[in-house]
Amino acid sequence: MIDANAFLGEWPFRRLPYAQPEDRLRKMDALGIERAVVSRLENVFYKDLLVGNEELHAIVQRYPDRFIPAYTINPGFPGWEHDLEVCINDFGMRNLRLHPNYHQYSRLKGNVPRMVEARGYPNYQQYHFLDDQAQALLGKAEEHDLVVLISIGVEDPRFAHWLMKVPSVTMIDAAEAVNGFPGVRFLICGAVFSEVNSLWSTAYHQDNLYFENSRVQGPIGDVDDLCALMGADHLLFGSNLPINYAESAKLSIEYAEVDSDVKQALFRGNAERLFGA
Amino acid sequence: MIYDVHVHFRSEHMMQRLLAQAERLDMVMCTNSINLEGSSSPNFPSRAFVTACNDRTFSLAQQHPERVIPFWYLNPVHGQFACDELERRVKGYRGRQGVKLWEAIRGNNPQVDGIMQLCAEYRLPVLQHTFAEVTGNLPTETSGPDMREMALRHPDVTFFFGHAAGDIEVGAKCALGLPNVLMDVGGNEATNGYTEILVRHVGADHVVYGSDASGRSFASQLAKVFGADLSPAEKERILFGNVQRLFDRQQERDSASI
Repeated sequence: MIDANAFLGEWPFRRLPYAQPEDRLRKMDALGIERAVVSRLENVFYKDLLVGNEELHAIVQRYPDRFIPAYTINPGFPGWEHDLEVCINDFGMRNLRLHPNYHQYSRLKGNVPRMVEARGYPNYQQYHFLDDQAQALLGKAEEHDLVVLISIGVEDPRFAHWLMKVPSVTMIDAAEAVNGFPGVRFLICGAVFSEVNSLWSTAYHQDNLYFENSRVQGPIGDVDDLCALMGADHLLFGSNLPINYAESAKLSIEYAEVDSDVKQALFRGNAERLFGA
Repeated sequence: MIYDVHVHFRSEHMMQRLLAQAERLDMVMCTNSINLEGSSSPNFPSRAFVTACNDRTFSLAQQHPERVIPFWYLNPVHGQFACDELERRVKGYRGRQGVKLWEAIRGNNPQVDGIMQLCAEYRLPVLQHTFAEVTGNLPTETSGPDMREMALRHPDVTFFFGHAAGDIEVGAKCALGLPNVLMDVGGNEATNGYTEILVRHVGADHVVYGSDASGRSFASQLAKVFGADLSPAEKERILFGNVQRLFDRQQERDSASI
């Protein structure tokens, strides 16, 4: 199996099992996961993401056969172009992780309206992919043929810490990225079932659009329905470790009433094709 | 065998999927209906709506007694009508059964007392929905502290603490030291450490598997138990033993009253 969406590192609000590389490898071995696409979990919160990316690079250097890095960039923070160059030139970056909701790309611009009072999240400033810096980053991703992982949500936002009321990225926002860059391969991470349905249905370009199933945790028959909707080539196994139990995504595929070759594609084949792993 | 204490009969189509998976997993589903075929679930259901929901649950349990345990849905605001509805259902069904309370009124409200007296008499476990959403609960939604008050107010009733308040750290603290409460793991995302946190606070004898299917999948919710760092014996109690004990007690009472 290849885990298409995971993190290494600590979460500030709860002690999580399997956060560190050695523990993670034991868990991966127990579940039969050979390789995992990983980002630094601390980079959800760090301002200077290069620090987290350097830590991730050091871990991946120790376990190059097990971890596939996805380095995190925040196009709303000064100097992101430099960080990207370091990741590409020094770390051999192939995969780019984005956290548009946590990183609030447009925060530094005074002319961006506050939009989210109506959504129950006062003081949260919405961003969008049409922002010129985000557009520039996606342009760079296309230029360097990076796989772009958009994190829709990392945890269930209903039970976040009271100081961290961060809504999930909307599918309209995600569609702006997908529709604007048909040449970029996008892996949508941490989307729930309804969000996958919504984005797939509104995307103009579906050939390069992929999803992983870590937060697709219902309804009953979810994987069957998504395979019927999208075909089996666009869904990948993803654990969202250490935030979620990896068994959720694994059992969801195992229990699906689809052919064994389809399960093989979800567990491994689609990720091999997407990541060249 | 596995007991799932938290299953909703949403639609015939989804129910067929649940029954097929339950068969493969050797699972028995404590099933309630809080909606009718094709309808939403009103927070404040009418008498006729509740009755129709329970008719639906009754038919399902009659058709699949080996897989479905009916949990009768009640709106405590209906007062004596709700008590009469429960008594009628209990006397009209032979077999394991329980009660489902949702969002019409907070569980610690005295208006619930009449139903609780019947639940104690018939040894009916009560699945009480609870929540602790960071952006706020509904005004009539039972919170973790409400659930604690409810359990203390009705010591002769056994409760399934529905969703363990959603926010498990809230739920776990609210259930500390309550002998008549079992934490339902179902209905939220499979957050890593979920079941271990509950077991650490209340012990494996006070945690039960629930799914909140069909809105949630069995896979995602079973992962909370299968993936937990717990002993096989603890997992067995969560998946089966703790609920079996309750229904054994219920059956003892039923046998004695015949």
